[in-house]
Amino acid sequence: MFEPQIMCFLCKWCTSAAADLAGTSRLHHVANTINMRVMCSSRVDPQHILYAFKEGADGVFLGGCHPGDCHYVEGNYKTLRRIALFKKMLADLGIDPRRLRLEWISAAEGKKYAETMNEFTEQIRALGPLDLNDKALVREVVKDE
Amino acid sequence: MTVKTKKKEDKRIGLFVCHCGVNIAGVVDVKKVAEALKDTPGVSMSTDYVYMCSDPGQQMIIDTIKEKHLDGIIVAACSPTLHEKTFQEAARLAGLNPYQIEIANIREQNSWVHSDKDKATKKAVKIVKSHVAKAIRNENLEPIKVDVKKRALVIGGGVSGLQAALDIADHGYEVILVEKNPSIGGKMIQLSETFPTLDCSQCILTPKMVEVSRHPRIKLLTYHEVDSVSGFIGNFKVRIKKKPRFVDEKLCNLCGECEKVCPQIVPDEFNMGLSFRKAIYMPFPQAIPGTYTLDEDHCLGLSPVRCGKCKDVCEPRAIDFDMKETIIEEEVGAIVVATGYDLYTMQALGEFGGEKYEDVVNGLEFERILSASGPTGGVVRRPSDGKVPKSVVFVQCCGSRDTEKHLPYCSKICCMYTAKHAMLYRHRVPDGQATVFYIDVRTGGKAFDEFYQRTVEEDKVLYIRGKVSKVFKEGDKLIVWGVDTLTGKKVEIEADMVVLAMAMVKTDGVQDLLKKLKISTDIHGFVAEAHPKLRPVESLNAGFFLAGCAHGPKDIPEAVSQASAAAAKVGDLFAQKELSHEPTVVPVNDELCSGCGICVTMCPYGARTLDPSKGVVDVNEILCEGCGACAAACPCGAAQQRNQTDDQIFSMLRAMLRE
Amino acid sequence: MKLHYYPGCTLKEKAVALDISTREAMKRLDVELVEPEGWTCCGAEYPLTEEKIVGLAAPIRVLRQVRDEGGEVLVTTCSFCFAVLKRANKALRDDPLKRKRINAFLRDDIQIDPLTKARTTDFEDYNGEVQVLHLLEYLRDRVGTPKIKSRLKRDLKGLAVAPYYGCRLLRPQEEMAFDEPDAPRVFEDFLEAVGCSAVDYAFKQECCGSYLSVSLPDAATEASYRVLRAAQMEGARAVTVTCPLCFYNMDSRQAAIKEKFLDFSGLPVLYFTQILAWALGVDREVLGLGEHAVPADSLFEEVPTTEVRT
Repeated sequence: MFEPQIMCFLCKWCTSAAADLAGTSRLHHVANTINMRVMCSSRVDPQHILYAFKEGADGVFLGGCHPGDCHYVEGNYKTLRRIALFKKMLADLGIDPRRLRLEWISAAEGKKYAETMNEFTEQIRALGPLDLNDKALVREVVKDE
Repeated sequence: MTVKTKKKEDKRIGLFVCHCGVNIAGVVDVKKVAEALKDTPGVSMSTDYVYMCSDPGQQMIIDTIKEKHLDGIIVAACSPTLHEKTFQEAARLAGLNPYQIEIANIREQNSWVHSDKDKATKKAVKIVKSHVAKAIRNENLEPIKVDVKKRALVIGGGVSGLQAALDIADHGYEVILVEKNPSIGGKMIQLSETFPTLDCSQCILTPKMVEVSRHPRIKLLTYHEVDSVSGFIGNFKVRIKKKPRFVDEKLCNLCGECEKVCPQIVPDEFNMGLSFRKAIYMPFPQAIPGTYTLDEDHCLGLSPVRCGKCKDVCEPRAIDFDMKETIIEEEVGAIVVATGYDLYTMQALGEFGGEKYEDVVNGLEFERILSASGPTGGVVRRPSDGKVPKSVVFVQCCGSRDTEKHLPYCSKICCMYTAKHAMLYRHRVPDGQATVFYIDVRTGGKAFDEFYQRTVEEDKVLYIRGKVSKVFKEGDKLIVWGVDTLTGKKVEIEADMVVLAMAMVKTDGVQDLLKKLKISTDIHGFVAEAHPKLRPVESLNAGFFLAGCAHGPKDIPEAVSQASAAAAKVGDLFAQKELSHEPTVVPVNDELCSGCGICVTMCPYGARTLDPSKGVVDVNEILCEGCGACAAACPCGAAQQRNQTDDQIFSMLRAMLRE
Repeated sequence: MKLHYYPGCTLKEKAVALDISTREAMKRLDVELVEPEGWTCCGAEYPLTEEKIVGLAAPIRVLRQVRDEGGEVLVTTCSFCFAVLKRANKALRDDPLKRKRINAFLRDDIQIDPLTKARTTDFEDYNGEVQVLHLLEYLRDRVGTPKIKSRLKRDLKGLAVAPYYGCRLLRPQEEMAFDEPDAPRVFEDFLEAVGCSAVDYAFKQECCGSYLSVSLPDAATEASYRVLRAAQMEGARAVTVTCPLCFYNMDSRQAAIKEKFLDFSGLPVLYFTQILAWALGVDREVLGLGEHAVPADSLFEEVPTTEVRT
């Protein structure tokens, strides 16, 4: 079975804390994901995401605080806008936009974190390995949407 | 700030893998992790131990750092939220810069959530490897330090400002209290009784006012306005405009002779225009400072040729027509904004006739009518003809909770003060009928609902659930049209007086001041708090604190609590020798910065400004909170977050993803 | 100058006085009123009922005709016609779907060339280009008080007149958007411009009973009575209206009102254009005073007819 590699950028204040909570609650989930803690989801530059794809990630996950809850007031809104635009570019770059996922997971939502990890991994598994040269696939996806 | 750091090629990194009993070691093969990383470039030693956070564990780390001359360490253990500080402290004891410590989370985010030992071990290796990549690129950092001027500015002399000033002064710090009006006291001094205890408002506030005026550490500046503010937290420079009072506060002996001879009659602001004062006046008998003030706008002319009657009779020669506006400069470390509120104008609700009919009054006007020190001496009389009204209709939510035409928010205090108004009216006019129109009655607060129940049950105030559509005059009666939404029937009530519970809005003209302070507001013009739950008394802008209704509608106890909380926060700030700030901020590389200013717009803290002379962005590191939003937005890589640079992120990604 | 004017059906039947006095008055302000060729009923209330796209075709057809005749502005006096035309126009401007659908309906229409009277079916889509103005709005914004004052031929000596807005003229505010419904000024300013004094009273925006006149005549009688009495109590010598239905309710119901409410002694009701025309020097015979159930002639006799201002 294809085991995808999933790169997760987690904001320190909410989603990384949710991942810790999933740990303290022993909420087992797939081991395909690997986390990087950033101060705020808005610290993540689209270049980081592209770089992750280039280095072998089959999916990239970005977790931030719920709207209105950002430790830095509005960082998550900046992320939201940035990612919405970036997803459109991804298709042009030959990467299925579904391989990038943005979720708001609060420090209290350990369960949501674990479930999202499982779910996203399954989704990426279904999409198969990322082949950066396979543009035909992308065209198909764009047509579907 | 950055301190000299070794180049990454020369760095010696130590790796310490924790078993955490079986918490980690039960799933992750810790020895294998330590072994796997041993030969990674930069790693000069690696080991494992059963409990790194234990005293022997920490001692081992300290000894190893010293023995092996390590430049940085990685502790692969639990979440950094638990022991990052512990290991930073250990490193510091060993003479290592605390910013060279990396915590690799292999417990919460690995061993505790996976059961497959092989996968978990592999993942642990990747996690640790990514931290090695980061660690060799970490810089030695020192916290950013700034001096703090241990003096505070409080803007606004209402109950919130007074409380904040007193508390800060009692903490032992100097306070400058600026009030734009001739006296302190704010809106609270105009109130009659206060809910739910019916304390006399003046009786409880005047002692505080006196305390403020006598406090050795409070510099009271009434009839002053803040002109401009520059600087940053701990180091503000404030220019304060002193408006000419034309009466020397120290000389005035309050004999009142000037007032007697003044020919100019002006509506009295303290009594909400329900009575008159002279152009030279004392706002109210307990005013502080106790001095007369000459109101330039209404004086016949500041010249003995024009009138000068007051000057002629002033025995102590306190009146000086030549006083000019002057500017005072002060340096402070913190600023408390307690600028209060105003009432929504009755003009905005034309259908209620507040502008047309004298007997339609707003809540504050009714407070004056109820007040023993008011224009009617506490007897309830209506303004038009002085008759005692036998029927009074109270309308709640005038402008509040109206998303379509007025303000969407709840003004919070109106339910309670309307109940108080109705109750006091019934006490003063036992044969009078009080009717209240309400949308909901909101009585959240200590002893609030009991008070409301008393109003309904003991004082027989009639509450009608519904809105009023129109108030108009017929003969000498006011006709109130409304609807009772519980019965679905139209209601028409003949009243002698109508009291409108007008919404609370930002203080008229406060936006100019807030612009000068450069602090953010919400869409209604109230000052925005840094975090709605966790930082409710701080402004988003460092060094500014909020108290009272400047922040949004609230009652007296809440305003006072917030003022004390703001004062405590100011105390926190001043208790520090110098301000210490996390150095993991985002400076700008002048050579790379193109001066596009994108990062300036990304920053919610005003830490970044475009320097037009240099054509690059300037960063005030003390204001930067280190979110990194600007770093991600910078198109030329000039904005790099310390110890989380793009280079570090890329190298971590390589370490995690490259097989 | 020429100005497109939509009289509406009532002005051709029941409210002829409103129509002639409007024409006469506007002539004296150098405005020649032109009716759009082949205009039809605006649809009265019907087009404003919920989401009836087809109902909008009637008013839009009128507006399209105005546009095709080169008109940029269309004025009306009747409050109902005004509401229908203005709101239909706005609905079309704001909603691309409605625009598309109504234009599709109207494609089956026949267009009449104003010059040759030739009938064609070839026309452009109408996209809300015409501006709909009430005559009061037109007088305020396009003619202006100074011009009106300069043309006055009779001194009305501050005749106390109560302006009656009714419910249709100003609401809904965001759509009608020509005055503040809770504290309006436009009618008052007009009356003061022509030399009357505007009586302030509480019922100027209350309903006269409107179509209840048909289904519940008693309710309309009472509603009209309350308006008239309030005006009278504030010292009004007459009530002035813009709407033929308000006129009907308040004028021809007065016999019933007097029967039911003994304290009421009668109060003349006038169209605002009658006052305007009179002040501008139009002969009394042309004002259509014969239509009134409550005689208003005395009101006009009292006023000296000497020319006081030029």
